[in-house]
Amino acid sequence: MATALEKPTVTVESAPAPPPRKGFRAYWHLYAAISPFYLLFICFGLVPVGFSLYLSFHRWDGLGPMEWAGLSQYQYLLGDSDFWSSIGNTIVIWALATFPMIFLAMVTAVLLNSAVRFKNAYRFAYFLPNVTSVVAIAIIFGSVFSTNFGLVNALLQAVGLDQVAWLNTPWGIKVAVATLMTWQWTGYNAIIFLAGLQTIPGELYEAARMDGAGPVQTFFRITLPMMRPVLLFVLVISTVTGLQSFSEPQVLLQNTSNDSTFSGGPGHAGRTMVLYFFQQTFDNNDFGYGAAVAWGIFLVVVLFSIINWRLVQRRGED
Amino acid sequence: MATIKGSRRRALALHATLVVGVLLSAFPFYWAVIMSTHTSSEIFSYPPKLLPGTHFLDNLRHLLDAIDFYGSMANSLLVAGSVTFLVLFFDSLAAFVFAKFPFPGKRFLFASLMIIFMVPAQLAAIPQFVIMAKLGWIGSMTSLIVPAAANAFGIFWMRQYMKSAIHDELLDASRIDGANFLRQYWHVALPVVRPGLAFLGIFTFMGQWNDYAWPLIALTNPDNVTLQVALSQLNGTHGTTDYGMVMTGALLALIPLLIVFAVGARQIIGDLAKGAIK
Amino acid sequence: MRLSRRGLLRAGLAGTAATALGGLASGCAVPTGSTGRNMVLWYWDGGLGDTVVEKARARYGGTVDLKAIKIGGYYRSKLITTLAGRAHIPDVAGLKGEDMASYLPNADQFVDLRTLGAEKYRSRYLAWKWDQGIADDGSMIGFPIDCGPVAHIYQYDVFRRAGLPYEPDDVSRELDTWEKFFTAGEQLKRRIPGTYLLTDVNSVFENAVQQGGKRYVDRDRHFIGDQEHIRAAWALAVEAKRRGIVSDLVNGTPDQLSALQDGKLPSQLGASWATSDIKNGVPKTKGRWRVADMPVRPANNGGSFLAITKACREPEQAFRIITWMLDAANQAQGYVDAGLFPSTPASYGLRQLREPDEFFGGQVTMDVFGPAAQKIAVAYNSPYDVALGQPIKDEIKNVGVLGKNPDQAWKDAMSTCRRIADHLGVSH
Repeated sequence: MATALEKPTVTVESAPAPPPRKGFRAYWHLYAAISPFYLLFICFGLVPVGFSLYLSFHRWDGLGPMEWAGLSQYQYLLGDSDFWSSIGNTIVIWALATFPMIFLAMVTAVLLNSAVRFKNAYRFAYFLPNVTSVVAIAIIFGSVFSTNFGLVNALLQAVGLDQVAWLNTPWGIKVAVATLMTWQWTGYNAIIFLAGLQTIPGELYEAARMDGAGPVQTFFRITLPMMRPVLLFVLVISTVTGLQSFSEPQVLLQNTSNDSTFSGGPGHAGRTMVLYFFQQTFDNNDFGYGAAVAWGIFLVVVLFSIINWRLVQRRGED
Repeated sequence: MATIKGSRRRALALHATLVVGVLLSAFPFYWAVIMSTHTSSEIFSYPPKLLPGTHFLDNLRHLLDAIDFYGSMANSLLVAGSVTFLVLFFDSLAAFVFAKFPFPGKRFLFASLMIIFMVPAQLAAIPQFVIMAKLGWIGSMTSLIVPAAANAFGIFWMRQYMKSAIHDELLDASRIDGANFLRQYWHVALPVVRPGLAFLGIFTFMGQWNDYAWPLIALTNPDNVTLQVALSQLNGTHGTTDYGMVMTGALLALIPLLIVFAVGARQIIGDLAKGAIK
Repeated sequence: MRLSRRGLLRAGLAGTAATALGGLASGCAVPTGSTGRNMVLWYWDGGLGDTVVEKARARYGGTVDLKAIKIGGYYRSKLITTLAGRAHIPDVAGLKGEDMASYLPNADQFVDLRTLGAEKYRSRYLAWKWDQGIADDGSMIGFPIDCGPVAHIYQYDVFRRAGLPYEPDDVSRELDTWEKFFTAGEQLKRRIPGTYLLTDVNSVFENAVQQGGKRYVDRDRHFIGDQEHIRAAWALAVEAKRRGIVSDLVNGTPDQLSALQDGKLPSQLGASWATSDIKNGVPKTKGRWRVADMPVRPANNGGSFLAITKACREPEQAFRIITWMLDAANQAQGYVDAGLFPSTPASYGLRQLREPDEFFGGQVTMDVFGPAAQKIAVAYNSPYDVALGQPIKDEIKNVGVLGKNPDQAWKDAMSTCRRIADHLGVSH
């Protein structure tokens, strides 16, 4: 067994790298130490990504033979209004979740920063929504937003308003999905903000108070500028995760369609890009088109990463 | 006198606001308790129930009849546990190399790590499915564990941690004592970065526990799935008929992570913040 | 404990290898399909009679461990994904009627039942149903379970309170056109505010389509979803929306069940098998329901098949089991268990089908579904029907739920259909 296992280390030594000065022998243990990740990446990352490019030029249902399709999958993708609307859905849900979340998290963090007692207990409580299972919590939120017996509608009725068919209207769906995300991430980000607030030197506030600045002025003139890096960090992370949202709309809306696991609800209002990818690939069994959709998503993510990067760059210039 | 009164009143208002936030955070948990203790027809009737009912044990019995709840929980523990173990080992080993040793190709390899970090998972999803179908892994937990056994994020994060946590003098001293690379990793690096490992471990465990999209596709054997997939199946099959039972499943599924959190809360909350402001 | 460099490295590599090998081993330990005695059957809740499945397990228990698994969610997608994944493929699988045509291009994934002697059973089944299980090359992949005659299922008391006809015969006679049906809906809504005749416009659209003999793509692979039979169904659905007789709920959600229980949705156009969904979904409504003829003429909705996959190691044995489970006596039991309307005419005279059903106030539901099944119009189902019907169903749903302009919705549906048709090589 042991001798058989010597082999992989030998192959690792020939891993691609610029010509060594001392020879690989001197470094082989270092390459071996980092090899598991790169081996896994080659098998389950690099090769699949290449294969998915190849697939996107074919028609394939995963069962029969592959058929060359040239650029037709991409042509179809460009004119596919469903794909474009899934991009729109993703961005709207992301915005509906992210901006209230950042606002609430900031307010919570500022409050926590000034509360002297029970700070740890509060942090614990606020973090709790983040350590839940997304599937379970989406099921629970489904009942909170139910039209007929849901709590939100009961509250609306109690104050004399009309019921809203939350999971059956385009905005209702997006609001429900975004609310779930906001609930899950507000506390998490509040704790990050709190840590940022604690790094702001007290002398700055002292000086502001000497100048006669009120709490609101202090917040906008000192707290916010000092928090910019942390804010950007939170924004970047929430963009990357928000663009790939899947579980929340999938579970929340899975029972609204008999003919799709990934329908995203009535009018496909909750069908995000990743949901659309899964729907095309595994519901319609269109592996070729699914691969093209995946590349489309990749481009959108790259685009947003560039925008993010620009934002961060500008921070450097300030 | 007046200012003391004023500041006390302000403190009260502050805590009152914070408590409202806590209640909002905690409310869905309470709601799950209510729903899981009622029958479906009680849930479906108006006005909504606000206090726990008496049917929890009935719902639990139905749940255990409907799905292999404990089996799927064991599967989730197996997957999350082994991935966590493997990730901690492989990532910290690689991070140690990237943090402390020069070698040819280091810049290239590390830069490629950052790019890999940004590739969306669904780009590889279809071919992964096809490759695993060829390997015969589809439907087994292997299809979840192996691809997740090392990841770019963990290496990146541990490298940052190790750079500052492990002092070069310590390494030099151990080298003079004749310690080789693995001894240095084992005896010098690991003891120092234990808190970092704890964070990465808990973080990885929670991430794996919650993983849903890929298991939903890859676990084709409906009798052998993780908890998340079992819950989703339960919701798909009985979500319209036996609502109380589905809610009971959702409630129970929350418990394991809450235990992990209760044990590691200080670590998670502390390190999470540290990572962000660096 | 002292760890040598080599030792630890070995441990690490052994760990990787063991995980990989473990995976391979577990992959091999559970090969695709059955291991001798084990036989896995996939179906969905209400797809087969539970009593029949139990009896089959007992009857063949000496030679086979029949493991019947109910699959939730979108069944077809899960089955196809599993076939593509090449592992844990069931030996026997239910195929839903509406998906049947889309399996036919992948007929090579299933055992040709003719090779197992299916031909000699042919005369015992409804001819049109039998033919739907046969692919273009003549191979037979689906063995008939049930068919889906559609009737008007309604709540007696609610109709009575709304001043509508409430005895089944009266309902059948007086609500025999779409016009009268819609007018009844308006009256219902007026007399009992908050109450709607139907859940959504799709139930009008799809039932109207299924009353006819044409679907979305014809035998020559030509798109016909822009023709009169679809336009007429579309117009009816739009009319239902205009008159405000549909709710804003989604079919199959807890909300809908809640409304069924409250009597806010006292009526639906459902196939025979839908009665079992109602029984399971809202058991508290026992005794409140009745069954009458649907307007104009009966439709067929669903009705499914059993198939044997290529992964099955004992196809002869599997074939023995499915032919037994689907014989006339057991199909009659399937009707009692799950409202599965038999595809075996010999069942119709059996005592179980003539039993009064307490859930329907002691009505003999066969009196309605039986004659309806005789009048079903047989349609050609194309493998492309699913792909080219979906945009139209999506758009009519947009009209119903989101209030989208019907003309715009129709235009959008047609342009999507044309694009998909081009993509799939369907002419239009």
